[in-house]
Amino acid sequence: MKEMELMIYAILSLESDSGKLDSILTGIKGISGADLYSVSFNATTAIVSDINRTDLIANSSNAIAYAGVIETLAQQYSLLPMRFGSIMESTGAILRMLERNHPEIEKNLLKVKNKVEFGLKVFCDSEKLKGELIRISEAKTARPPHQTPEPQISVFREYVNKKLEAHKLEEMLLAHVDSVIAGITNHLDQLNAVCKFRKMVTETMIIDAVILLENSLKDPLIHQIEEFQIQFPGLNFVLTGPWPPYNFVETTIK
Amino acid sequence: MSENKILFNTGSLDELTQEIGKLNNVDESKLKLTPDNADSGLAKLVLTLVELIRKLVEKQAMRRVDGGSLTDAEIERLGETLMNLELKMEELKKHFNLTDRDLNINLGPLGDLM
Amino acid sequence: MDNNVVDQSKDITILELLDRVLNKGVILTGDIVISVADIDLVYLGVKLMLSSVETMEQLKSGKAIKEIKE
Repeated sequence: MKEMELMIYAILSLESDSGKLDSILTGIKGISGADLYSVSFNATTAIVSDINRTDLIANSSNAIAYAGVIETLAQQYSLLPMRFGSIMESTGAILRMLERNHPEIEKNLLKVKNKVEFGLKVFCDSEKLKGELIRISEAKTARPPHQTPEPQISVFREYVNKKLEAHKLEEMLLAHVDSVIAGITNHLDQLNAVCKFRKMVTETMIIDAVILLENSLKDPLIHQIEEFQIQFPGLNFVLTGPWPPYNFVETTIK
Repeated sequence: MSENKILFNTGSLDELTQEIGKLNNVDESKLKLTPDNADSGLAKLVLTLVELIRKLVEKQAMRRVDGGSLTDAEIERLGETLMNLELKMEELKKHFNLTDRDLNINLGPLGDLM
Repeated sequence: MDNNVVDQSKDITILELLDRVLNKGVILTGDIVISVADIDLVYLGVKLMLSSVETMEQLKSGKAIKEIKE
């Protein structure tokens, strides 16, 4: 007898008309073509499908199918997207989970109500930028010509000097990235956006940001990014979205 | 899902494809511990953590040197210690046949180790 | 040439999507736990689950994504 469990795709709040949700759910399929249905504790509703954990092939096409369900639902509802692999044993377990975590769920649903997420990544050539920063700082500190010969320094001191120079360069780069982020935050605050940033993710990706915004403000956001591009010609901006608010529901439920 | 989610981009998408590909690129051998590779798998794990600590110590040391609070003698000793630490790491890496890339794990919100 | 850009856009969209659905979203504790170096267990766990069954090679071998060569 196969052990059927339940895969949870998203949690949303059912305002009134559950008929609308039912008709949406009949129109889409979950992983492995499974039917989707809902499990509700009062208005708080989990969207689920039956899944056999051992049969589940963990591949990218299943992950994409899973995300597709979330995407379709997000067109109609503010929801909390679940991470791929959210599996519970039974509808009873899900009900208990919804009840136990009700306040946390409600809090997060309120946070993302009528909002969508956008991804902003900023690229630059770190080496080139470092070069420019060196030029700028060297121009500021004009060095007097050496009158006396350089004193002999130990190999250890030379090691430290080399490391120190690299360290200072990193700090300059980081300071520059911080100022770019400050500029971006400043403008996005005007759109009432919530932003989260990761800095220096790789040698070329200096900023990896996610933005939570009213879904009606998509066009003003695009316009603002265009402005940033003009303001920072040496940087490359990439804006993606709108996405369901994956990055803004950082909560763990048991 | 065929929808295109890119709303704005400058320059070529090559960079972006590469960088995001890197983020999602998991080196299986790095995380999979099987009976065969348990030894070197464990070595990788240990050395990765040692390298993390070494880099943090180095960074902190540089901050202090930059701050100007150390005497020349202290800087000398610091230089000697850090240099030896780095040389030792190189030896260990060579011994276990690991490259910098092998030791570079993604720390999630903290970005890459290196 | 145009096809290449369209393909790249689609690839990037997929990569962005996977990054979200695999690494973000609400976490249900107790479903996938991998004990490796205590660094964000579920984060590593889901990637491991995907990698051990079907490597990202399959995704990378698609159209415009270039192999990162050292």
